[in-house]
Amino acid sequence: MMPNGQFPSGQGISASSLKRRSAVLEFLGNVWSNRKGKAGALIFIAMILIAVLGRIFSPYSPYDTSFGIYLPPSAAHLLGTNYVGEDVMSEFLYGTGVSLMVGFIVAIAAMAIGTLVGITAGYMGSVTDDVLMRLVDILLVIPGFPLLVILSAYLPPTIWSTILILSVLSWPFNSRIIRSQTLSLKRRSFVLASRLSGLSSFRIIIRDLIPNVLPIIFINSIFIVVGAIVAQAGLAFFGLGNINSINWGTMLYWFETEDAIIFKAWWWLLPPGFGIMALGIGANLLSNAVSETSSRIRRY
Amino acid sequence: MLTLRYVRRRVLYLVLTLFVAISINFFLPRLIPGNPAITVLLTRYGNHITPQELRLVESQLNLSGTLWQQYVGYMVALFHGNLGVSFYFYPASVSSIIAGALPWTLFLLGSATVISVILGVSIASFIGWRLGGKTDSMVSTISISLQSLPVFWLGLILQIVFGLMVVINGVGLFPVAHAFSTNVTVGPNLAFIASVLYHSAIPILTLVLISFPGFALLMRNTISTIINEDYVMMARAKGLKTWRLKKMYINKNARLPVATSVALAFGNIVGGAFLIEEVFSYKGIGWYLYTAVTTSDFPLIDGIFLVITITVVIANFIVDLLYSFLDPRVMLE
Repeated sequence: MMPNGQFPSGQGISASSLKRRSAVLEFLGNVWSNRKGKAGALIFIAMILIAVLGRIFSPYSPYDTSFGIYLPPSAAHLLGTNYVGEDVMSEFLYGTGVSLMVGFIVAIAAMAIGTLVGITAGYMGSVTDDVLMRLVDILLVIPGFPLLVILSAYLPPTIWSTILILSVLSWPFNSRIIRSQTLSLKRRSFVLASRLSGLSSFRIIIRDLIPNVLPIIFINSIFIVVGAIVAQAGLAFFGLGNINSINWGTMLYWFETEDAIIFKAWWWLLPPGFGIMALGIGANLLSNAVSETSSRIRRY
Repeated sequence: MLTLRYVRRRVLYLVLTLFVAISINFFLPRLIPGNPAITVLLTRYGNHITPQELRLVESQLNLSGTLWQQYVGYMVALFHGNLGVSFYFYPASVSSIIAGALPWTLFLLGSATVISVILGVSIASFIGWRLGGKTDSMVSTISISLQSLPVFWLGLILQIVFGLMVVINGVGLFPVAHAFSTNVTVGPNLAFIASVLYHSAIPILTLVLISFPGFALLMRNTISTIINEDYVMMARAKGLKTWRLKKMYINKNARLPVATSVALAFGNIVGGAFLIEEVFSYKGIGWYLYTAVTTSDFPLIDGIFLVITITVVIANFIVDLLYSFLDPRVMLE
C-alpha cells in the first residue's frame, strides 16, 4: 500500500491547502456516517440550537419575578418557577447559552494552546521538550478543583475570569497527546519527504502534522467542552465567578443556597443536570464513533 | 526492585511540584493589585484599625519588606507549620482548622477511592469477558451516563431521595447533613463510629457513583486490547484453561493502567469531595474552603490549597513508587 495514499498533504506543495480542507471534511463525514457519531452530533446540534435560539423562544424574561414562588410545572410554566418566582424554563433556555459559550471558548483556547505546546515540544525535542513536558506533568498532578478555586477567589468575579482560568488550566492533557502523536509522525516518510523538499518547520507542522492529529484534537476538544461546563458549574456552586449570571451552574448554586431542597423543587434541580448529562453522553458517543472510524483515516 | 535512579527522579519531580504549588500560593496574592486580604480587612474594619495594627497584620501575612524578605519570611513560617490566622474563624489559626478538618476529608476520599477501584475492577473483569454483548453495552452506557453527571448535582438528588422521599417514622432513611449526630460523644466509642459511618454513607455513595465508571471503562478498554495480544493467543492455542487465562494473563495486566490512573483520579476525586462536603454540610476541608470563599477568608483559602496540594502530590509520589513494584517496566523508561 502507498504510504501516503490516504494523506495527500504530503504529496505536493501546490494543492495542499485544498486537500487539507478535504481531510477535515472526510473526517467529519466519516463521523457522521457512523451511527453513534450521528447520535452524538445530533445531541450537540440540539444543544447548540437551544443555546442560540433559546432566548428568542423563551416564554418569559428570566428576570421576571412576577409569578408565584416554587410553582410546580404547569401549562403556563413548563418547568415551574424558582425561589423568587422566575420561570425555570426561561432560566434554563438562557442559561444553556452561557454554559455552552463557556464550554466552547475554553475548548477552542485549550485546543490552540495544547496544540501549539504539544507540537512544539514533540517537534523541537531536547530541552524545549523537557521543560514543556515537566510543566505539563506538574499541572496535571496539582489537584484541579482547588487550583481553580484559589485562582477564582483572587480574580474579579466575572464569567470572563472563569473562562480565562479554565482555558489556562485545560490544555495540558491535550498537549501531551499531541506531543506523542507528533513524535511518532515526524519519523514517518511523508514528513521526511516534506523536510527533504526544503519546507520550513512551520509549514511542515501546518501541512503535515495538523491534519494527522485532527481526530485526537477533535475528541479532546469535545471532552473539554463538557469538562469546562461541569467545572464552571462546580465553581459557581462554590459561589465563585459571577453568581448573578444565568447559567446551569448558578441555577444549582441558588437551588443550594436558598435551600430549595426543602420544597423538593425537583423541576428546578433536574434541567441543568440533565443538560450536562446529555452533553456528556453526546461526547462519549462522538468519541466512540471517532475511534471506530479513525482507523480508516489514520491508516498511513 | 527500586532503582536509585528511578527514586531520585521521582523525588526531584516531587520537590519541583511542591515548589510550583508553594510559589502559586506566594505570588498569587502579591500579583493582584491591592492585596485582596488587606482590602477585605480594611473594608470590614477600616474604621477600627490603627496603622500599627495594619502593620502587624501585614507582617503576619508576610507583606512587609522587599519581595525577597517576604519570600524568606513566608518560607520560614511555612516550615514552622504557620499558615496564618483565619479572618472568619478568628482567632483560630489556619493550621489548627485544617488539622481538625483534614481527617474527615481523607476519610471520605480514601473510602470512596478504594470502593470505586474495587467496584470498577470487579465490573470490568465481569464485562471484559463479554465484550460487545448486551451486558457490556448496558453497563458501558450506565457508566458513561454516571460519569457525565456533576457530582454535587447527584449529591442533591440522593439527598432528596434518601433524606426526604424515603421516610420511615417521619425521619429520612439516611441523614443528609453533618459528619455525625450531636447526641454522641466524640471519641473512639461504638456509638460515635456508627454515627460517622451512617452519616458518611450517602456522601461516599455519591462519590463512588461518579468515580467507579472511570476505572471500569479504563479496564474494560484495556482488556479489549489485551485479548488480541499475541501472548494471549499463544496461551489459548496451547490449551490453557479459560479461568487461568483470564486470571493470570488478562486481568492481571489489565489492572496496571488502573493502578496508574488511581493517582490522577485521586486529584479529581478531591474536587468531588469538596463539592460533596458543601452539599452535605460535612465539615471537612472542602466545607471550610467553601466557607472561606463565601467570607473572603484569604489566609484560609491559601492554606487549604497548599495542604490539599501537598497531600495529593505526596499521594501521587507514593503511588508512583508502589507502581514500580507492580510493573517493573516503568523504571526502564
